[in-house]
Amino acid sequence: MAEKIRVPVGILFSRSGSYAGPAGQGYAGALSAIEAVNADPESRFELRPVVADPGGNTDRYAPLARKLLVEHGVKHIVGCTTSWSRKEVIPVIEKTDALLWYPCMYEGFEASENVVYVGACSNQHVLPILEFAMPAFGDKGFLVGSNYIWGWETCRLAREVIGRSGGVVLGERQVSLGDTDIGHIVEEIRRKRPDFILNSLVGPSSYAFLKAYRALGEEDPDFLPARRPVLSCNFLENEMREIAPAYEGNFTTAIYFQALETADNRAFLASLDPALVDGGISACFAQAYASVLLIRAGLEAAEQATATAQLEAVKALRPSTPLGPLTIDPATNHLHAPVHIARGTADGRYAVFHHSREAVAPDPFLSRTPLTVGARQTPAPARLRIVP
Amino acid sequence: MTGAFTTPSFEGLKALLLHREHANTEALERQFARIGVRVTRVWPELEPGLGFGDFDILLFDADMGYDGQFAWAPGEAPMPTIALIGSEAPGRVSWAAAHGADAQMLKPIGSSGAYSALVIATHAFARRKALEQKVETLIGRLNNRERLAEAVAVLMVRHGLSASAAYNRLRRSAMEARVTMDDAALRILDETGAGEEKSSGL
Repeated sequence: MAEKIRVPVGILFSRSGSYAGPAGQGYAGALSAIEAVNADPESRFELRPVVADPGGNTDRYAPLARKLLVEHGVKHIVGCTTSWSRKEVIPVIEKTDALLWYPCMYEGFEASENVVYVGACSNQHVLPILEFAMPAFGDKGFLVGSNYIWGWETCRLAREVIGRSGGVVLGERQVSLGDTDIGHIVEEIRRKRPDFILNSLVGPSSYAFLKAYRALGEEDPDFLPARRPVLSCNFLENEMREIAPAYEGNFTTAIYFQALETADNRAFLASLDPALVDGGISACFAQAYASVLLIRAGLEAAEQATATAQLEAVKALRPSTPLGPLTIDPATNHLHAPVHIARGTADGRYAVFHHSREAVAPDPFLSRTPLTVGARQTPAPARLRIVP
Repeated sequence: MTGAFTTPSFEGLKALLLHREHANTEALERQFARIGVRVTRVWPELEPGLGFGDFDILLFDADMGYDGQFAWAPGEAPMPTIALIGSEAPGRVSWAAAHGADAQMLKPIGSSGAYSALVIATHAFARRKALEQKVETLIGRLNNRERLAEAVAVLMVRHGLSASAAYNRLRRSAMEARVTMDDAALRILDETGAGEEKSSGL
């Protein structure tokens, strides 16, 4: 057998800090995929992970990315969870022909030619979850988010879509990353009785909120998820396990769920370390895994070329991944992806019940996406009725 | 819902790019294609058959641009404008500023910046137009102050009123006729100017 060609791949995730939950999934997903590629006798490449851990400190991303590119000669980095950290890496990577594979859902409004966005953007998460929830539960929303760009923009867009669709936002609260003092938010929700709560909190803040909201539902059945559910675009399987059964009955949208009943996904899960599978395999895991498979496809197609030229080659293919066969949008480097909606179960899993009929084209600048959804009008109290 | 919360969409807009062909303009054209803006690049001047009126937004080169490229006086662009700045030498930057650039992008142009420049330019242009409108109205009112004083004087003489009583009478008639004070004053002056002393009902 011919000697395999060694290719270093940068892995840049914060495995400690306030968003270690999703970042740990990205890390494990990338490493699992590298292991799988290396074990594949068909592969001409041996991928060598070069791991860097910024520890949740945004200021460490740019120097570590530079180190991966310059000292380790890396042409592909799989990494970043928050948009802040990605924005730190972009100026470094744009000076080179290298690529950042960003395996996370995010708020859009970006299309760097050196970044591949291997996750959903707003028209693939906020829009579909509101499209599902407003007709089903009503048009009065409450928004909670972490106090940085993901939370801000998710809440801003939700406010616009709810408003344009004839609904109202009864309240909006932002919480500092890592802050778990959220009793006052649950109290406000108790008073205002929204039809749904859109939760874009990250990490421990989210867990604290979901547990407190669950407790409210146990105390007053009017706040059970069947009546006033929590919706999320970024709540992961591994996080749900941790706080089970707190997410029971609430709803999440993603372009990958562990519970997807496809042949691709069954084979993928069967190939993984059972301990990892037990802990929960999330979209962040699968998207990082898919990123490595896409890197491999690019190497197979154009090994000698620059990373950006390899990406152009991958765009002409539809490589098979745990998310299904993936198309990378030629203009924006975002994914054409099917969108799923799932409900949390008591034992900390997801039950997927809704799939988009086909892959949803990415629209990171929301240029072409109608920002309205069909809403079910909930009767307002008589004194609040405004007669035109 | 306030305007601050709306997601701008530029889908279908037509941009005119006054710049010689360059990697920067290619990068810019790619950025605009992503957000659905069609770009026409010309240099140095519009070809016959094309007019500035055919476009919704103008991007111009601050490095090699010159006054003669535009069909208007500096600062009076009838559309949102974005200056593409390479040299930050004060002469060039001042020239771009004098042309009333509503926003700017620095060269070299990579894969970001066009969207936010568009958002800022369209906001600034709307503000510029609103201000122009307001100034026009205010100048009109200023010019009318003389007329107002004249009309009050006419009423004082005609009806033997004090200044304040004449002013009140003018105001009342404006309200009754549902016209502005300026218009009411103008009517009185028109009558007087015509030299007719027939009753105006005042």
